[in-house]
Amino acid sequence: MEFPNGSERIRVLHGVDLDIGYGALSMLVGPSGCGKTTMLSILSGTLRATSGSVEVMGQRLDKMSDSARVKFRRRSIGFIFQQYNLIPTLSAAENAAMPLIADGVAWGQATKRAADLLAQLGLGAHTNRLPRQLSGGQQQRVAIARALVHAPALVVCDEPTAALDAEAGQAVMGLLDDASADPHRAVLVVTHDDRIFSFADRIVRMEDGRVIGEGHPTSNGESRS
Amino acid sequence: MGMLMVALKMLTGDKVKYFGLIFGIAFATLLMTQQMSIFIGLLTWGANPVLDVREAQVWVMDPRVKQPDQGQPISDQMLYRIRSVDGVEWAVPYLRTAANLKTADGGLAAVTLIGVDNQSMIGLPLANRAEAMQAIRGRNAVVLDKNTLGLVFPDGREPIGATAEINDNRVVVRGLTQSLTNFSGLPTAYMKYSDAIAITPPERNKLSFVLAHAVDGVSPQELARRITETTGLKAQVREDFAAAGTQFIIENTGIPISFGAAIGLGVLVAIIITALTLAMFIQENLKNLGALKAIGVTNGQVLSMVVFQSLYVGFLGYGLGIGGTAFFLYLGQSTPALMGFKMLWQVIAGSATLIATIVIGSALVSVRRVLVMDPAVVFRG
Repeated sequence: MEFPNGSERIRVLHGVDLDIGYGALSMLVGPSGCGKTTMLSILSGTLRATSGSVEVMGQRLDKMSDSARVKFRRRSIGFIFQQYNLIPTLSAAENAAMPLIADGVAWGQATKRAADLLAQLGLGAHTNRLPRQLSGGQQQRVAIARALVHAPALVVCDEPTAALDAEAGQAVMGLLDDASADPHRAVLVVTHDDRIFSFADRIVRMEDGRVIGEGHPTSNGESRS
Repeated sequence: MGMLMVALKMLTGDKVKYFGLIFGIAFATLLMTQQMSIFIGLLTWGANPVLDVREAQVWVMDPRVKQPDQGQPISDQMLYRIRSVDGVEWAVPYLRTAANLKTADGGLAAVTLIGVDNQSMIGLPLANRAEAMQAIRGRNAVVLDKNTLGLVFPDGREPIGATAEINDNRVVVRGLTQSLTNFSGLPTAYMKYSDAIAITPPERNKLSFVLAHAVDGVSPQELARRITETTGLKAQVREDFAAAGTQFIIENTGIPISFGAAIGLGVLVAIIITALTLAMFIQENLKNLGALKAIGVTNGQVLSMVVFQSLYVGFLGYGLGIGGTAFFLYLGQSTPALMGFKMLWQVIAGSATLIATIVIGSALVSVRRVLVMDPAVVFRG
């Protein structure tokens, strides 16, 4: 994967081969600038790779048109962002319902499904609250609901615990761990928060745009190659 | 529809910008439509002296006369020559001149003195026509325009029966009528033609205009042409001479410039407020809109959202502004200085089109940044 930089081009990813499996929570870890966010963007269809092939759930993203990729993202991928990115003037249920609303599901039906999911995530009493009325952990749970409401096969998470304290972070990772138990779903987390490594079924280490190691976390949270 | 609801909630949730947009557009609309309505009303005042004379199809005058308030009398003999032109059904004299009216208690008012044909009374306004025709028949009887009575009798006294002097000649107010407002704003006094010319200063010629009507089968335009050809005078159909009164105001006063400036200011206010506020709104929601794009909202949906937001505030703001102008004009109906001003459908349609263009244009300019935004940017913190 290359990015333009003036008259030059910077290669961010170098010949990366990566398989992400269903029914597991995978983590991409590495120092800042190692290319893990770029990898996440490519796998989630928000960025088009400059070379190579990208196959997600049997679909070649690198060969899709822009409109097809948008539709694929909307229906098959759930997103959790570092800064939550909730719409401040929409309630928790309305925020969580966003993928359904964008896909044309009727407003009432979409917010009902979202509210039900929020209840499962422990936010049943907060469905009508605005984001500013929720704590950071609660907001991230709304974001998780938004990522899961349309039953996607792939959930991508960019530093989901970066803005949370340890307790909230553990709670959020617990929910993602539960979501990854679905045999028809893969959860991919990009992080450099070593407090949550223990939640991973598989850790992929990256450095300078290359995968340098893979393994399972040890009992003390470190990766075993 | 769901994304439009999202757009609406995003917009109304930011109350400062929401109300800022609505009231900014309302103010701009009020400014534009109110000024345009007053401007058109003022221009109409230039045409009203002609429009107030409903029966005349053709106005005949000295060739040098450009508008109704311009005095250049013609010979009385011209009346008979015009009556002899083939195609003339009737032709009557019409005096229109400036005069001074002195009330019994010494008050002085400049008036427009109108002398109407003794027999037909053609030239009297339509309002209270029968009563005015009866009232004006008396010797030295004058009928006043009730809209401008306050300028003649500021103390509000009963005018009927009051004596006065016009050009130092005694007259008696015998009735009231209602003229269309004219540009000079002076009170109008109507008398029989014979009485009117008797009290105007002695001149060789006193006849201001001849009003003519064509026989069936002859168009007013054709009659005007024949009169000009026969007499050498200027003959214009009613509509053209009325337009000349309007044109005189446009060409010889600063009204078009000053009103044009106010209207232009309204347009500028609308553009600046709408474009700036929408741009700020988009900028503050850029991350959220980027997140929406990431989760699968299409560019078409984003565009629809922003255009919908613009049209929504545009509709509300425009409605408020137009309502304000209508209320202003309604209040002004009882004020002589504002009488006759109304909002034409062309002003409503034109300003609506302008506002719609401004809000949609602002939306398209503001949203461009979101449309070209890479959805992956939301991952970059």
